Amino acid sequence: MTTKLKATKKSKAKSAKPRSTRAAMSVATSDKETVKARVAAMAEVPLAVCESDKDLQSMLSVLRDQAQPIEVRLAALQSIQAASFSVVAFESCRSDYIATLRKVATDPDLEMRQRVLGILAREKDGFAQRKLLEGLENPEKELVPPEKALQLLSYDIHAEAYPIARKIVNNPPNEEAKREALRLLAADAKSAPVFEKLLRDKNETAEIRQVSAAALQGLKPEKLQESAREILLDDSDYDEIKATSLTALTQFGDKDQVNKDAALKKHVNRISTKGGAKVKRTARQFISKYGR
Amino acid sequence: MVVEVTETEFASLVSERAADPKRQHELLELLREDNELYDQRGAATTARMRGWVLHNLSLCSLTDEALIFVLEELDTGTDPYLVAAAARALRSYARPTSAFAPFVMRAITHIRYRNEPVSFESYGEYGDGDNVTTPVQELLTTLRWLGANAEPVLSELEQLRAQPDRLPRTLLASIDEAIKAISGKEAVDNDFCCSLPLGLKDRFSWTSNSRRGCEPVESVIFEDHNNELISFGDFFQGQPSIVVFFYTRCDNPLKCSLSITKLARIQESLLERGLADKINTAAITYDPEFDSSERIRGYGQNRSVQLNTRHRMLRACDGIDSVRKHFRLGVNFIESLVNRHRVEVYILDSRGRIASVFERIHWNEQEVVERAIEILHEESEEKSQARNKKNATASTLGTMASLGVAFFPKCPICWAAYLSVFGIAGFDRIPYAPWLQPVLALVMLINLASVWLRSRATHRMLSFCFAAGGAAVIIMSKLSHGGKKFAIWGVLLTLAGSVLSALGTRKKRQLGKETEGDSWFFDLFRRDGFTRTKDQTTKSTA
Repeated sequence: MTTKLKATKKSKAKSAKPRSTRAAMSVATSDKETVKARVAAMAEVPLAVCESDKDLQSMLSVLRDQAQPIEVRLAALQSIQAASFSVVAFESCRSDYIATLRKVATDPDLEMRQRVLGILAREKDGFAQRKLLEGLENPEKELVPPEKALQLLSYDIHAEAYPIARKIVNNPPNEEAKREALRLLAADAKSAPVFEKLLRDKNETAEIRQVSAAALQGLKPEKLQESAREILLDDSDYDEIKATSLTALTQFGDKDQVNKDAALKKHVNRISTKGGAKVKRTARQFISKYGR
Repeated sequence: MVVEVTETEFASLVSERAADPKRQHELLELLREDNELYDQRGAATTARMRGWVLHNLSLCSLTDEALIFVLEELDTGTDPYLVAAAARALRSYARPTSAFAPFVMRAITHIRYRNEPVSFESYGEYGDGDNVTTPVQELLTTLRWLGANAEPVLSELEQLRAQPDRLPRTLLASIDEAIKAISGKEAVDNDFCCSLPLGLKDRFSWTSNSRRGCEPVESVIFEDHNNELISFGDFFQGQPSIVVFFYTRCDNPLKCSLSITKLARIQESLLERGLADKINTAAITYDPEFDSSERIRGYGQNRSVQLNTRHRMLRACDGIDSVRKHFRLGVNFIESLVNRHRVEVYILDSRGRIASVFERIHWNEQEVVERAIEILHEESEEKSQARNKKNATASTLGTMASLGVAFFPKCPICWAAYLSVFGIAGFDRIPYAPWLQPVLALVMLINLASVWLRSRATHRMLSFCFAAGGAAVIIMSKLSHGGKKFAIWGVLLTLAGSVLSALGTRKKRQLGKETEGDSWFFDLFRRDGFTRTKDQTTKSTA
């Protein structure tokens, strides 16, 4: 028993002893090590990635190599991406890293593609934007699902994604894609009438209507106020949307205009006692701001 | 109108023009932001297209006309592909010039943290293979091409070399080569040091000789940072204005954000010079659909712009189209969003006409202020000349009236005398109208009143004394028998009074500029108030 305990302690002490970065790098890039050991080693090396060309190239090579286990490749990606947060230190690695990401953007593994395109899209990379747009226009060239592609394209307002996003809103492949297309269009001033229509449409899901309300707040706040008022005065509308409308008016409403609106106040007063729990709560907030 | 040209067709068009020496100049049209081929394209597509044009320019010989576009990209570009293409294009200029060195070094500073792989192997290719280069690599090669002409930036380059960990190791050799090339031979253009090629400066900063009227936009309504509505005519007419264009969603920190920050510095400078209420400033958004009053106000305030009735941030209520057309703005759009724009600043004269333009290359705030002041003075000068002309006309008329009164024949004897002078043949040329004498007398009195008013304004009464004396002598000469011989003295006194009056008015206007130079003759008639003004003027000049 004592011997066993000593052995365990010894083993724990051994594992607790930090290994050198060089040793970690050697484990991370070695094919002979187990996947688990390599993934663990990858987590230890981010700051060392850019210290030598050899190390950087070894890590990039793991990332590119489709024969490597996907877990190890994803860990390599995560490790290099963590290093890139130190912009100044990463300066020397940047061009090789971006070149590798562009190669891996068409990888057979979906998760790898999604992560890599995500990193490139955040850099407003033209290559990634072109691939994503091609996939939306032609499903055969699709690298990621449409909703993901739209989400990634929305990182850059200057990407020419508005026309395709409008098409998707009108003819969505799925509900998520429609939601993401609307989120993308939230920065498009010309889409305000679309959001106004969707917000008032009782046949739309609560989520779509809430996204529309948020978009309208950014594009045409006065239109949101108008629509929110109409929704609150309409007894047949849903509680969830009423709660959203109340929040919009409480937080962003034109104080003078709301204060003068006796009909609205009277209605909110009624909702505060008769509505659902969420509506009651938001109605109370409204009343505490504007009075009864 | 959207021109349906695919990117592939565009690439072929560019290659065709580049291959034909007679059509190479047509590539310039493709570098103008407002070219319809860029309409409704995304920013990344626009970058690919412009980059390809720049790349093709590098295969030809870069002309002075095209040089401005290349320098613009080095000065304000943040897209790796465009900067790399511009660096390549610069090397095709006829000869290396030291004035290019700061542009190249600035581009290295801006782009080093976005040093991404790019490829010029074929149109639209992104660097992910072996045939790649990077913007920093291209810029270093350009410095090497500049050789000893890049000496002004050698120390900066050496500082960069002193941080080997910060740069891609593959570039260290290129930096060493560039340093070696710069430190080697002597500069080719020692006598041309640090100045841009002749005529180039006029392409990014020029003063308009023939000013177009602003009638097409005079009625355009703007909403300002405070939701107040004002027409173009109401805000921009009446005094000179400095106008900057921007949009709040611009993601190039070297363009809109910097331009608005510089506008704030311009306002400070105007304030220091006491001209804040004589020269308007305005920032007009390219994106009025998205840029609400609240957004533009916040954008300006975050950059220390002073906002009031003379200094406004504006959005065109009915869209940017008419404004874009009038100013010929260097901008294009995808829907309502800007896909590419140049840096542009306009100085408008007091009639709202474009008097001066700064575009593409970063402008110097003090230079813009100086130019605006020139326009302000130029207009004051024009007004002053018009006023002088008016005064001279009034004086001449007054004097003529005095002459008329003095020499108008009033009796048959006078007529006989005049007839003996002119002869009977000149009879028909002698003006005789009984009503003319009272009219001339009235005009003389008006002249006297005018000289009195001017004397009061300038605090110089000598001119009025002369004119009044002259009028008195003329009247006396007309009333007294045999006093005619004195009439000529009356006329001379009136003439002297009128001339002194006109001189006095001009002298007062020049007081802002001069502190000395008035003769003892004028000093005799100065009042205390005027002496005080002079002292103050002397003090302020000191």
